[in-house]
Amino acid sequence: MATPLPTFVTRRRPDWDALQSLLTRQRAGRLSLAELRTLDTLYRRAAADLAQAQTFYPGTDAHRFLNQLCAQAYGAIYQPPRERWASTRDFFRRDFPATLRREARFVGVSAGLLVLGLLLGALVVTLEPRGAELLVPEGVRRYVAQGRMWTDDLLSVAPPNAVASGIATNNLTVTLFAFASGILLGVGPIFTLVNNGVLIGAVGALCFREGMMTGFLDFIAAHGPVELSIIVIAGGAGLMVGQALIDPGELPRAQALQARGREAVKLVVGCAPFLAGIGFVEGFISPGHLFPTWAKVGLGLSLGVLFWFYLLRAGRTDAGVARVDVPDAMASSRLR
Amino acid sequence: MTPSAPAPHVDVATPERVALSLPVAGIGYRCLAWLVDANLLFFFWVALYFVITLLVSDVLGAFQALSGLTQTLLAVGLFATQWMYWTLAEVFFHGQTPGKRVMHIRVVREDGSPVGFFESAVRNLCRAVDFLPVLYATGCITMLLDSRHRRLGDMLAGTVLVREEAIDLDKYTQAPAVDAPAADAGVQRPLNAEDVELVLTFLSRAPGLEPEVRRRLGTRLVDRVGASLTDEERTRVLQSPEATEAFLRTRAKAVH
Repeated sequence: MATPLPTFVTRRRPDWDALQSLLTRQRAGRLSLAELRTLDTLYRRAAADLAQAQTFYPGTDAHRFLNQLCAQAYGAIYQPPRERWASTRDFFRRDFPATLRREARFVGVSAGLLVLGLLLGALVVTLEPRGAELLVPEGVRRYVAQGRMWTDDLLSVAPPNAVASGIATNNLTVTLFAFASGILLGVGPIFTLVNNGVLIGAVGALCFREGMMTGFLDFIAAHGPVELSIIVIAGGAGLMVGQALIDPGELPRAQALQARGREAVKLVVGCAPFLAGIGFVEGFISPGHLFPTWAKVGLGLSLGVLFWFYLLRAGRTDAGVARVDVPDAMASSRLR
Repeated sequence: MTPSAPAPHVDVATPERVALSLPVAGIGYRCLAWLVDANLLFFFWVALYFVITLLVSDVLGAFQALSGLTQTLLAVGLFATQWMYWTLAEVFFHGQTPGKRVMHIRVVREDGSPVGFFESAVRNLCRAVDFLPVLYATGCITMLLDSRHRRLGDMLAGTVLVREEAIDLDKYTQAPAVDAPAADAGVQRPLNAEDVELVLTFLSRAPGLEPEVRRRLGTRLVDRVGASLTDEERTRVLQSPEATEAFLRTRAKAVH
């Protein structure tokens, strides 16, 4: 026979209150080892109380209270491993490039889509000059018609802040969107990649027609290689997500999505610092005539080669692989 | 008292073999939490703007005077703050941004464990898509369609927002205020948990009720839990709200 609810609550409440105050202090991050042991004991007792409440007092406030208390304690006890600087270092040294090499297929397809867009844009504008009216933004066309590079004025026209931050954040937006829109069945990345490819191709071809190819190259040479690589990688991550939705394999769709999503976001997060770095190049070195063209081309090419050298070589040593496998397996079994 | 339809929740089986069931935060909570966060960010930038205008008179001019590098730095920094605010808050404050903390909701993984960096990053990167075409239209439609009120970012990250309720246990442990007029209540069978719950909820609310409502509800409860009362005892119990409530309190406390 169950005890009446008030008696049950009165008898067990001190333990619950103690657990609650321990949890509050645990959130603040100040617990001694002894207190952690107490937390564990109290959690087990509360779990037993919850089982009792589920059987004898379902649907009451006491039941809901215990439910919530146990959930909080469960969250506190089964924490994900704390992110530390060491793990960040390992991520860039090994995890990020390794993930990229594993998912090279998607990055390849993504690159193919961008190149396809590039060719399409260039072809349309080369064969049919009026196509530029469709594909190239009006502001850019006006500059080109006057025989000037629109980027020359990037930092001197009013309001300059809008233009500069627009350029810098535009790439961030494109990158983020190329990944995130993958959840729209992969249509988003395909659109973003082809669309941006067409835009660059069309602008390039228009500049070529107007005899401004050097100006165009002058602007994009320094940051283009790395920036386009990053957009391609993010697009590949988006395609991964879309593929998980369309063809989840043996897993249920939701699980496939989560598993692929975790891998895909590694690619995006890994690109973030490089994206920030190339943003500086784009804002500082690319526009204007502070640096000669050959310097920009040289910088762009060497940055691109370095970036891809890092992506394809980093963390590839045998020692690295042997060291990763064991903790990875342990980590995943702990997460289950 | 009991909800007419079961509220959506996340079921979690812990290693201790108890089933937890966490109530899921609905679209209303989520919208309010977002409003709080959006306002915080907005006022942060407004405040920053005014601080800068106090320091330098001509903000636009000062901005123009900066080098290209600093301008780009600033733009990237602005952008990153908007984006990293959510992820950093969720990772460092146990799944809560300030707005979520105000609304008492929390991001957890679908198995009830706390979110890690990658999950949080995924769900917050997907804001870009959920925001489409304006003001989280995509996200809101998804939330309305999904049984657990998740937006696309949550589905991709495998996270869900759960609600924390403020539950007052004091109503179970309050001492009886006055001596019970119906001392023979102790001999009756103890009430089941649902009746105790009803009675206690009524008792905690009674002082705030309209006198008429208070009397009517009290009578109904006495009829429900005091089936074995004689007519004379019933009249005595019902003669004043105090007597009614004292009787009910004794009934609820009755220890077998």
